[in-house]
Amino acid sequence: MRRAVGVLLLFCILIAGCGAREHTNTSESVVDVTVWHPWGGVQKEKFDKVVEAFNKCHPRIRVHSLFTPNDLSNNQKFFTAVAAQKPPDAIFVDGQQTAAWAAQGALEPLDKWLRRDGVSCEDYFAPCWDQNEYEGKAWALTFCADPNFAFVWNKKAFREVGLDPEKPPRTIEEVDRYNDILTKRSGDKIIRMGIIPWAQFGNANSIFTWGWAFGGSFYDPGSHKVTADNPDVEKALKWMVSYARRYDVTKINAFSSGFGSRDQNPFYIGIVAMECLHISQIEDIREYAPNLDYGITYIPAPAGGEQHSSWVGGWCLAVPKGSKHPEAAWEFIRWCCREPKGTEAVGKIQGLFPGYRRSPYFDTIRNKPGYGQFLQILQECRHQRPVMPAQAFYMNSLDGAVDYAIYGRMSPREALRKAGAETQRELDLRLAGR
Amino acid sequence: MKQMRKKSSIDRQNTRNGLLFCSPVLMGLLVFTLYPVISSLYYSFCDYPMLKPPVWVGLSNYRALFADPIFYTSLYNTAFYAAFATPLGIIVAFVLALLLNQKVKGMAIFRTMFFVPSIVPMVAGSVLWLWLLNPQYGLINAVLGAMHLPQFRWMADPAQAKPALIVMSTWGIGGWMLIYLAGLQDVPQELYEASEMDGASAWQRMWHVTVPFMSPHLFFTLVMGFIGAAQYFTQAFVMTNGQGGPVDSTRFFSLYLFQNAFMYWKMGYACAMAWILFIVILLFTTLLFKTSARYVYYGGEK
Repeated sequence: MRRAVGVLLLFCILIAGCGAREHTNTSESVVDVTVWHPWGGVQKEKFDKVVEAFNKCHPRIRVHSLFTPNDLSNNQKFFTAVAAQKPPDAIFVDGQQTAAWAAQGALEPLDKWLRRDGVSCEDYFAPCWDQNEYEGKAWALTFCADPNFAFVWNKKAFREVGLDPEKPPRTIEEVDRYNDILTKRSGDKIIRMGIIPWAQFGNANSIFTWGWAFGGSFYDPGSHKVTADNPDVEKALKWMVSYARRYDVTKINAFSSGFGSRDQNPFYIGIVAMECLHISQIEDIREYAPNLDYGITYIPAPAGGEQHSSWVGGWCLAVPKGSKHPEAAWEFIRWCCREPKGTEAVGKIQGLFPGYRRSPYFDTIRNKPGYGQFLQILQECRHQRPVMPAQAFYMNSLDGAVDYAIYGRMSPREALRKAGAETQRELDLRLAGR
Repeated sequence: MKQMRKKSSIDRQNTRNGLLFCSPVLMGLLVFTLYPVISSLYYSFCDYPMLKPPVWVGLSNYRALFADPIFYTSLYNTAFYAAFATPLGIIVAFVLALLLNQKVKGMAIFRTMFFVPSIVPMVAGSVLWLWLLNPQYGLINAVLGAMHLPQFRWMADPAQAKPALIVMSTWGIGGWMLIYLAGLQDVPQELYEASEMDGASAWQRMWHVTVPFMSPHLFFTLVMGFIGAAQYFTQAFVMTNGQGGPVDSTRFFSLYLFQNAFMYWKMGYACAMAWILFIVILLFTTLLFKTSARYVYYGGEK
């Protein structure tokens, strides 16, 4: 009997242990703030240095960082934590997630602090601010602005086929022409492609990139209308499909299924001669393909399309609903996303562009190869992905639409119609508060 | 009289102590299994985006599901996979077990070799297979090419993606093979001798002695294999980046369920899917068990 009680007691202790409490402060003056970030590996170490820099000049706040994966469609750990009323004090949210997270009640609006501390939309590159504004409130501040994308070309490959290595394609017609010259086949297999239109960071990001370059639009925030079937978006998809037809899509995808990041990146190793480049890849190339001879420019656009087109992506910082130390968390957010010193630290340490347009960091890279071009792209950037609560769904729908179109299962028009209609249905449900 | 009462009080005490000793397991079962199962049934009738309280919507999730074309695609994909992967796995595992039941030198090594893949974590195995199946640099196509056989585009071609996963599924059948090997030891040797004396060929012996005695094992793996195939998820998720591509050809039922639950936060919808899957599995296994008397032989039966 006694033993039985002992077992039960042990069990109770175990149960009690599950609800472990986080340590409470002994010294009243220092506030411990937790922030969950999405970086592993080298970026994590760099972010920790940013946190360190913050802690050094803020003796009353101690920020602790924790890696929690965010695969852009969700951050499961974060949502469960909010549902359990144990969220971190600050959270990284991808710009395109902000509206959905806000609509679901996972975030705290920042407006009272913005007003108090005089932070306004003027301080930011327009798309960086816009991506975080939903239903008249600001829900996050842009931590890093990724100008998506730059267009890069392999000069060595250009030389090899007799193209002028200093003259990148400016129009879609030129892209097509250069692609024809650059693409190499051996028997049934593709050895080198000029460009794979749908391989710009996934189907969905590709259609966004080309759709805007062709002059299209994806969403009308005023009327809450999903406009995937916009005629210019359709033209962009038709153009993408023309490559699938010409080279046989399964052949291209068989060719591309060996692609990877870093030392398996097809552009770095010269088997794809033109592609869109993300800003983080400048360092990547320096490390993994130091001898790659390439040029950086704006994304080409067809006549009548949008010249110098790009859109902004990147991580933002927000205060979760139920944050235990919202004031201190805001202090950290403001420092990283708005303070000259903080944004400079983010830029210098992490190699990311702040969303704060007057950050002194920009003066240090204006003439740095690669970064200078990206800065110009950012300054001309006009788009962010649709700010609406069904964005993750939209991404997946567009992903499917591009798939159905390039594999010839649907016409571009049908595929975009379908994606638009199903996203609209989903959006209407969310807007109706469901 | 007195003695009897005493005994029953000891009995009661024993029951109580027994329950106390079992309580961790019982609690676990109630809290972590029964409660989620019941609540998922409740949520399947609700709109539940997780951060807001669930709202009762009656049958609307089920109605929406039956109007959802991807629901049918995912159902078809899963049925296709189950219909081919389960029998293929059983056949391959059975043949392997027969081979590995021979008395050859170094058999322990062969057995280990064929079993090892099934202890490789599924995610690691999937990544490995992504490379084996790579159309341009993969080992499988290289071997096919060297033998002048047609090469495939595997996961790059919507028509070949499911077959690729089915081929891959035979990699993890070590567990079944082990079950069959154990079963083969139990087939009475005297029956082989008797049938051999009666002039039965090797094929006849296998068909009339081995298979009937193995039928409970085969049946067990058929049921478990079917249930496993109906819940097929990890490999498709890892190998297609959670998308189920190309062109939805590997969007399996569980993958679509996962997407609804953890990408779109439609918990109610996902719970409804889970219950439909549960009912399908229940119906099918019931059917298997009901018909099993016809093809499963338990020793001692007539």
